[in-house]
Amino acid sequence: MATVEGHGMGKYVAVYLCLLVLMALQFFIGYQNIEGSRLVVRMLTFAIIETILVVVFFMNLGLEKRLFVKFVVFFTLFVLLTFNYGWTDSFRLLLFRLTGFEPS
Amino acid sequence: MSEAHLTMGAHAAPPMEERPFAIPSKKLAMWLFIMSDVMTFAACVVAYAFTRNATPEWPRPFHSVSSVAVMTLIMLTCSLTMLIALNAAKMSDKARAFRWMMITAAGGVLFTLLHIRDWMGMMSQGVGLFQNPWGPAAFGAAFYSVTGFSLLHISGGTIALIVVAIRYQGGRYNADDIEIVNLFWQFVGLVWLFIVPVVYLMNLAR
Repeated sequence: MATVEGHGMGKYVAVYLCLLVLMALQFFIGYQNIEGSRLVVRMLTFAIIETILVVVFFMNLGLEKRLFVKFVVFFTLFVLLTFNYGWTDSFRLLLFRLTGFEPS
Repeated sequence: MSEAHLTMGAHAAPPMEERPFAIPSKKLAMWLFIMSDVMTFAACVVAYAFTRNATPEWPRPFHSVSSVAVMTLIMLTCSLTMLIALNAAKMSDKARAFRWMMITAAGGVLFTLLHIRDWMGMMSQGVGLFQNPWGPAAFGAAFYSVTGFSLLHISGGTIALIVVAIRYQGGRYNADDIEIVNLFWQFVGLVWLFIVPVVYLMNLAR
């Protein structure tokens, strides 16, 4: 059943070191005086790069059949994207709270 | 026996359907579980981010995230030790695979203890599920739901690791089963990599 045969750990150690560096950069950025959307974009960019590394190498999705990879990626991304339909409502609530507006 | 029967016998259909995506059923089941769990975690994280964005006086209670940095280091290192165990299992080195799985599980226990310690610190400051000394009560509920769901997965994964390691050592499980538990373990580690920036790093005290 296994798709990964036993082999050297060099690739995994390299990915592990990359992940450590990326996390260290994330912590560094966290302590910088960056606010709002710029901070969100930077944090999420790092998180997405880390996700790709973990899924492709540590979870060995890169070694699976192409059709299966497409299946996993398409359905997961589709659902993740549909979760993001409500952000405008979040900003609307924020505006109401800041201005003290009470919808009737 | 008719000619038709003879023909059918010579070209008998396979007894079972082909595996979807040419992937073993157990592995496919784990991937489907992970995909559904991604949706649950995404719902939690998006709900947290939605509430945070919509609340102007959202607290920034984290003055230091050194314990979170240590927990992240443990989680990433455990991902590597799990891969060492998987690699050893593929090479039929049972003792080495068992040893590294138990090291990974020990890392999971350490992570869980540090996480509980982190929670205790928050509770001692008065942060509860429905109370928060710094402002909006939703902070406590959002914080404990997201981190608690992750903690539940990591502690569950640790138990699964120990069970699979013992059964592998006893000959009931093989390298394929370790590959399945590896998928789950890597996934819970990946989720933590999202929780750290969203919950902790974006809420550092200024």
